Order: sequence, then C-alpha cells, then structure tokens
Amino acid sequence: MGTVMSAAPSRRLLRPPRAEGSAAAPLSHLSKAITVNGDLESDGELQIYGNVRGQICADRLVVGPGGYLEGDVIARDVHIEGRMEGRIFALNVTLDTGAEVNGRIFHNTITVAKGARIDARMPWRPPSYFETLETLPEARQ
Amino acid sequence: MSMFNRNDNKETSVSAPDKPRDVTPASVAQAPKPVQPAPAPAPDLSAARSAGPSVISKALKITGQLESTEDIRIDGEVEGDIHGVSVTVGNGAKVKGSVYGQTVELAGTIEGKIEAKKVILTSTAHMSGDVIHQDIRIESGAYIDGHCRPGTNKTDYKPAAKPN
Repeated sequence: MGTVMSAAPSRRLLRPPRAEGSAAAPLSHLSKAITVNGDLESDGELQIYGNVRGQICADRLVVGPGGYLEGDVIARDVHIEGRMEGRIFALNVTLDTGAEVNGRIFHNTITVAKGARIDARMPWRPPSYFETLETLPEARQ
Repeated sequence: MSMFNRNDNKETSVSAPDKPRDVTPASVAQAPKPVQPAPAPAPDLSAARSAGPSVISKALKITGQLESTEDIRIDGEVEGDIHGVSVTVGNGAKVKGSVYGQTVELAGTIEGKIEAKKVILTSTAHMSGDVIHQDIRIESGAYIDGHCRPGTNKTDYKPAAKPN
C-alpha cells in the first residue's frame, strides 16, 4: 500500500471537487456479502456495507450499518454508520448512530450523533491541509 | 453500615404490603406496550440497502482481491482476482486478473482468466487469456486471445466428445 503511494509522490490524494452541473457522482456499492482486500480509488461516491481492508480515496465515502472498514480513508465527505478502524482524512466527517470508530479523525468539520462509539483522536485541520495532502503521515501506534 | 442495613430492611418490610398495589398499575401500564413496534421498519430499510449486488462504478478503481457470496457488477477497473456468484464485467470495464464465478458475463476487457460454469462473451468483449467453462456463449464481435476449454468438473463429457 505505502509503496504505491510513494511511487507517485507528486499526486494529490484528495480528488478535485466534481464540477457543478456534471452528471451525478457515479455510485459504487459494496454489499454486505463482499470482502475486498486492497486499495480503492474513486472519483465518485463509495458505499460500503461489507468488509474492506485497504486504503480508500474517494469523493464521498459511506460506511453503512453492518459495514466494516480497516484502513485509511481520504475523502471530501465521510459518513460512518458502521465500524471502522484506521485513520480518516476528510473535510466533512459525520459519525452517525451505530458508528464505531477506532483510530484518528483528521477533519475540518465533524458531526457526531448520539450513540456513536468513538475511540479516536480528532485533530482539526484547515481545508488546505486536505487539498495539498500528497502522502499520508506515518501512523504512530 | 449496620444502621443502613437495618434501615433498608425496615423500608422493605414496610413497603412490602404496598407492593401488590404497585404491581397492578404496572401491569395496566404494560398493556398498551404491544402497540409500540412501529419503529421496527428502520432496520429493514437498512437491510434492503445493504443487500443486492455489489456495483463497482466506472469511477472506481480497485487494486486487490474481491470476494463475494452474491453478485458483482464491474463497470470500473479492477487489478486483482474476483470471486463471485454472478460476475458481470460491463462495457468499458477493465479487469486484470482471474475471474471466478457460477456465471461470468463479459462486455468489457479481461486480461487474465475466466473460470466459470457459464460464460457469456458479448459483442464488445475483449478477452486476453484462458476461459475455463462448462457452458459458453460467444457473440459475434467478441475478441478472444486464449484457450477455451471445458472445466474439470465435466471431464466425463470431454472424452465422449473426442472421436478417438
């Protein structure tokens, strides 16, 4: 995973925002029956109801109820209703009821619903931090 | 401590005669409860959302392995092996790796292998690699560069078809 990212260090991880008026963001859906081991890159929305282990770059990520994600996420919007272990790098983070997050949440705005279980540090960062992110900081743990 | 205990005992003994009276209102209050299961549809909705086929849209690129006990539809790019029940590789989609399933329908590009009971190569299919099948349909216009051979499960069928 890490070697792939370091091979192209000049690439920004966060995708540019989709142009207004363009077709709706293509939706990818991983149902509860699926297990993915690997990295995922999307310019659109990604919904996870199954198991995913790997790094995710997307415009918008949803981890639905019953979904489980192990790995780092870079996205504009992240909405979590399932379980997640790893780091989130996102401008807007929503942790809904039923969310179970373990790790770090780098955010610009965050919403936490009643009932969410969070065991994580939540450092605030300015939007420019996410826009210029090229490599993920080393995980310390 | 002993004082508290004594007090506790007294209270319980004093309140004991009241208990039957408390119980009756409680049972009355319980009566309307069965009306409540209205909020139950919420988990049903989420179950409906989480079910159904997995869709890899054309904006998504996956580097790694996919395994599913249900259907998978791929319109994007996958670099790695795919295991599913019914796997559909749509027009414009690209897979680099092996695809396993009961049914594999190809309208895009696969560089690797297909191993499935039923294989359908549509007119826009581009297949570079071997196809191991029990039942295959190839439409006019499909590109194949590789061996097409019946799967190991049907070995009894294969020698019977040979003239020797």
